[in-house]
Amino acid sequence: MSTQSPHTSQGQQRPVLRLQQLSRVHGSGATEVHALRGVDLDVFPGELVAVMGPSGSGKSTLLTIAGGLDTPTSGRVVVEDTDITAADRKTLAALRRRSIGYVFQDYNLIPALTAAENVALPRELDGVSARKARGEAVAALEEMELGHLADRFPDEMSGGQQQRVAIARALVGDRRLVLADEPTGALDSETGESVLALLRSRCDAGAAGILVTHEPRFAAWADRVVFLRDGAVVDQTVRSQTDSLLTGQAAEL
Amino acid sequence: MITWYHSWRAAIRIARRDAWRSKGRSFLVLAMIALPILGVSAADLTLRSAELSTEQKLERSLGAADARLTDPGYGGAPILQTPNGENFTPADDFEDKPYPEGSTDVTKAAPQGAKTLKDATGSAKLRTEHGLLHTEIRELKAADPMAKGMLTLVNGRFPADGTEVAATTHFLASSGLQVGSTLRARGFDREYTVVGSYELPDSLKSDQVNALPGALLAPLDKALKADGLPGTGAEASYLVSLPGGFTWNMVKETNAKGVVVHSRVVGLDPPAKSDVPFYQKNDWGDFGMSASARAAALAAIGTVVGLAMLEICLLAGPAFAVGARRSRRQLGLVGANGGERRHVRAIVLSGGLVIGVAAAAVGTVLGLALTYALRPVLEEYIGRRFGHFDIRPLELLGIGLLAVLTGLLAAIVPAVTSSRQTVLASLTGRRGIRRSNRVLPVIGLLATVLGAAIALYGSVFSDQFAVVAAGSALAELGVVAMTPALVGLFGRTGRLLPLSPRLALRDAVRNRGRTAPAVAAVLAAVAGTVAVATYSASSDAQQRAEYKAQLPHGAVSVIMDEAGSARDVPAVRSSVQKLLPVEVRADISRISVGSANCSVWGGSDGCGTYEVVVPPQNECPLWATDPANPDGDPAERFSKEERRKLAEDWRCQQPGGRGVYVPDGVVVADASLLKVLEIDDPAAAKALAGGQAVVFDKRYIDKNGGGGNDDGKDGTDGRDGTDDGTDEGGTDEGGTVRIKLITDTEAAGNAFDEGREAPGEIKSFRVHRAADDVDAYGLSVIVPPAAAKAAGLTTLPLGAYYSTDSLPSTEQRQRLEGELDKTGSSVMLHIEEGYTSENSIILLALTVFAGLITIGAAGIATGLAQADAEADLKTLAAVGAPPRVRRTLSGFQCGVVAAMGVLLGSAAGVLPAIGLRLAERREQLKWYQEALDNGWGGLASDPHVPVVIPWATLAALLVAVPVGAALLAALVTRSRGALARRETA
Amino acid sequence: MSIRHGLLALLERGPRYGSQLRTEFESRTGATWPLNVGQVYTTLNRLERDGMVAQDGEDAAGHALYAITDAGRTELKSWFGTPVDRSSPPRDELAIKLAMAVGAPGVDIRDVIQSQRRHTVKAMQDYTRLKAQALAAVEGGGPKERDDVAWLLVLEQLIFQTEAEARWLDHCEARLIRLSTAAGPGAPPVHGAPPIRDTPSVQGASSAHGASQPRRNTGPAHPARSS
Repeated sequence: MSTQSPHTSQGQQRPVLRLQQLSRVHGSGATEVHALRGVDLDVFPGELVAVMGPSGSGKSTLLTIAGGLDTPTSGRVVVEDTDITAADRKTLAALRRRSIGYVFQDYNLIPALTAAENVALPRELDGVSARKARGEAVAALEEMELGHLADRFPDEMSGGQQQRVAIARALVGDRRLVLADEPTGALDSETGESVLALLRSRCDAGAAGILVTHEPRFAAWADRVVFLRDGAVVDQTVRSQTDSLLTGQAAEL
Repeated sequence: MITWYHSWRAAIRIARRDAWRSKGRSFLVLAMIALPILGVSAADLTLRSAELSTEQKLERSLGAADARLTDPGYGGAPILQTPNGENFTPADDFEDKPYPEGSTDVTKAAPQGAKTLKDATGSAKLRTEHGLLHTEIRELKAADPMAKGMLTLVNGRFPADGTEVAATTHFLASSGLQVGSTLRARGFDREYTVVGSYELPDSLKSDQVNALPGALLAPLDKALKADGLPGTGAEASYLVSLPGGFTWNMVKETNAKGVVVHSRVVGLDPPAKSDVPFYQKNDWGDFGMSASARAAALAAIGTVVGLAMLEICLLAGPAFAVGARRSRRQLGLVGANGGERRHVRAIVLSGGLVIGVAAAAVGTVLGLALTYALRPVLEEYIGRRFGHFDIRPLELLGIGLLAVLTGLLAAIVPAVTSSRQTVLASLTGRRGIRRSNRVLPVIGLLATVLGAAIALYGSVFSDQFAVVAAGSALAELGVVAMTPALVGLFGRTGRLLPLSPRLALRDAVRNRGRTAPAVAAVLAAVAGTVAVATYSASSDAQQRAEYKAQLPHGAVSVIMDEAGSARDVPAVRSSVQKLLPVEVRADISRISVGSANCSVWGGSDGCGTYEVVVPPQNECPLWATDPANPDGDPAERFSKEERRKLAEDWRCQQPGGRGVYVPDGVVVADASLLKVLEIDDPAAAKALAGGQAVVFDKRYIDKNGGGGNDDGKDGTDGRDGTDDGTDEGGTDEGGTVRIKLITDTEAAGNAFDEGREAPGEIKSFRVHRAADDVDAYGLSVIVPPAAAKAAGLTTLPLGAYYSTDSLPSTEQRQRLEGELDKTGSSVMLHIEEGYTSENSIILLALTVFAGLITIGAAGIATGLAQADAEADLKTLAAVGAPPRVRRTLSGFQCGVVAAMGVLLGSAAGVLPAIGLRLAERREQLKWYQEALDNGWGGLASDPHVPVVIPWATLAALLVAVPVGAALLAALVTRSRGALARRETA
Repeated sequence: MSIRHGLLALLERGPRYGSQLRTEFESRTGATWPLNVGQVYTTLNRLERDGMVAQDGEDAAGHALYAITDAGRTELKSWFGTPVDRSSPPRDELAIKLAMAVGAPGVDIRDVIQSQRRHTVKAMQDYTRLKAQALAAVEGGGPKERDDVAWLLVLEQLIFQTEAEARWLDHCEARLIRLSTAAGPGAPPVHGAPPIRDTPSVQGASSAHGASQPRRNTGPAHPARSS
């Protein structure tokens, strides 16, 4: 099944992330598990793609391979025109510093660092001077209206605040791809919403994102929902114009 | 480069905050590293501060003067000297001429226009509150500007007239006198007032009294000599001050007049070696350590430092490991955010760096502060004032670096381990299968085998115990490296154990990463302790076997053999009788040749000595000088076999040198002495009563009778001297012992050099020969007083032997010692208590040390295990385990680590000790054989080098320590678990 | 569906005329349930008949104004106080469709479920997008804030209902998979049937469901998550 983005407006844009015929087999012999079977997926700038599916469908594996934390058994992963399938550990690490940001379910922040330092971490690891990295981090936090949290340590923040800081970190610097693995899993409904709203707004501002979730309500924030079953994409929704929905409904009555 | 720096900064920031977040663990590690650093930096500072600059040294020895002139005692013969004046020699050779002797007038050697100040030093016994104190007396006008800096006035003032003295603070403290007290000397009726106290900056512990020149030494000396006591033995040197200083050329000129010069100018600016004739004349090497000795010392220090660092690393390593384990997810996040392995490594290593730097800072600062605060105490302790507070930044930096290095080394293994984990495993917290490193055990095995082989070679084929020690050390490091694998072996033993110990053992074995370093730390400490314990227990057994009692058990002796102390003997004799449970008292006297002021060994003016003549036929052929070849070694006349045979000969048996206070073991005493020495020989007692001497060393008996003296009665011509000597003693068919009085020791010395008989008057005594198996405790001849008198010998009281009802108690002994202290003469008191081991304290200290290390390491490992086992404990609680399981589990975890370490350590420690002992035995045997071959056989005894396992120590280590550690861990563990904690870094 | 009570609630805030009521109703419910003016006047007449509203003069433009009476207030109060009746669930086309698909030859029920899920999620996406706009409006503090909040609540009701449906679909699928593996091959066919996907009829049905049955209840949402 083709999962090329149906956006006509993005047809001429290059995808930030392109997964081609991705397969991943865990174990071997009797314990062999096909976590992914030939998955194709493109994510374009400004697009938030939700990946849904029952447990064991391969959602998380997809995300770890997309970020280079795991390697596919076969297939290709291209991040911003770089084929990372055969990249070595160092290249992958550099990629995570410069191109890809992760947001996990909980405990995303390093307890020993303040919010600003957490956001600055990938930049500092990349060798940017502490002062410059901090400046960028504070700017990123302020852009997301989190400036007041800059000097707080993670244990002085609520779960929602921590996740929002994590999103800020995922997108600091030149990073344009955020991979979120159940970012709302440990949050209540209202707080989870605020995190999704932030993710949504960052994508509207031009970032690309993949959101793995099993909550349809949160998946609904995405532009496109990809359904994964037994390691394969079985279906996806297509983004339509909101207004047409309502006008359509109105017309039907 | 810059990039590298920035990412390290981030790592250090994380590590710093993490260290702050887990304060307990950080403090523990910090203390472990900082304590030795504190000690070392304090020691460094103390040593450096105590080390004086040349200026300071010169000020303390010369004051404000330009030079000090000293009479070397060569009678004015020209001399050569080193620039500092410490070594000098006559300029001419005196190989065939008598060596120059005599004094010269130093003042005449001083250059024209020089100001001089006399500095004379002698010594005498001064009366104190407690008795007499042998004190140095220094006559120096201390107030003179030239003397400035030599004596530091503490209190009061320096003496201003001939009735005043000042004293060192140490003298005042030990004499019980104060400023204002009256001071008197023994044998001198003049009184002096102590008007001030001072100290010698270089020698705080010296007892010295300062007086004006001529005020004390000369009159005292006169009075003492008049009283038949030794004089003050004063020697004078002169401080010289002259414009322009005392140049090296002037020094050489002064040397030509036979005077030694210690010059300030020369000290500050020493002449080139080629300008010093002394060096040309003599092959004076540097008296410093040779290069190899220095290398050996360095190697020893390096080994100690290295082992200490290894031990600290082993102890601190697990703490870093648990830190890394706790912050696994954090490290995973760093990975997810693009951290490479090196970043993760950097973060964990930074933990070591942060703690190491903190420990270095804390350790050095505390060390400096402590040294600063304790400066007076330290100065007292080392006995000299510091020149100034000498802080060597470079050395302190080096010491600090050692701390940083230790921290880094301790964190290195955890750092590598954490960086090896995949980001995914770290994030998901999956407990991956921890495959232990396979390289390390292999290296360890190789090192062990190699080390053991070396040690084995050393103990079986060579007698070099350095080889054994090196091999053992290598093998031990190998065992440490093999620890993870060895710990694995223990896992198989756990199947039949009950739940808690089984869980503890499995847990320990599964998590080798944290168990192994702790076990290794215990292993190293215990191995060292057991090795030392085994070695010292063995040598203790050897010493016990070699111990020879000086007296029968419980007997007491007091001996005063100092010059002039004879007059105090009666008082001492009765003090002992008064204060100890004395049964029999036997007074002993000695033969005196010369005045009553002569010491036992003679030597000084007008003092002679004596010797017991060994009849030629009784002389050991190995030692008897060959008249034909007086310079040759007499033993060379014999073949090796003959030498060995002669070593067994009775003439060549040298009695042990114990309990002998007089030449050739001759004392003047009556039959009561036999009783005290438990010699049950009525015939001997009768002989003594009858005026016959009793001889215990039959070599002295002249069966031919004494020839040529007045009361000599010819004995029958006895058997010849090569008699095998196996006849039972106690019979006496005559025989004499001849004692030669040597009045002219110099002539005797010359005669000896030339292989001639020493000239001297011979006194002969008829003797009774004691049985061969009688132990006379070192005495060879007892002369009854009557016989001595009859022979015209001068005797002086020497002391007394006592037998006691019971072994004197410590209290009695202390009281007696206090009493004896008051006499002022040195009294040699011996109470025979049998062999007392000095090793027990060391062994105890070692055991305690190893126990502490064991408990510490096991405790750390347990803490780590507890942190890991939280989930398991929750599961246990959920299935209904009683709360005490938590306690018992932690107890067993601690016990398991301690037991494994102690078991491995004991095995690793006993073996090298045995090896060392075997090598030692071989070495001693070799020496013994050599001695036999060289004809010194009579002197050496068959070596006895036993190997003794210190079972008590081993038992304490093997059983008590693990059990104690387990109980302690169980005790300090809360039964109820901590509230479910968020897994935080 | 109570237009009666809705109009009463609007009149509670003051007298209104018919087309004004229609506009306000729609702005509050976000045109989810569109009214025509005829419906409004018919309802007003009935309410006047029952004595719950009364004519109250005209405004300047000559529109007849209606005002709520005391009886109307009482009725409104009791309406707010009475829970919506759940005892007789309305017929649900989707439930019936799935019930019929079980065991029907030539139908892959998982495809039926998936295609339904796609449309449900799609509807949620649309609602969520509207909600995001509403949220922005609320936070922006516009002049019609009260209407915006009401609109937001209605949208969220729709989102939660569709979420319940999506979860129910997840649950159905999981249950069917488990039953099929338990019964072995030959049990209710899950795989193998020709796929029915993206058929216009399904699409249409789904669209209709989103708009025309806003109060459809698919039963209590299953607490069990599908993954």
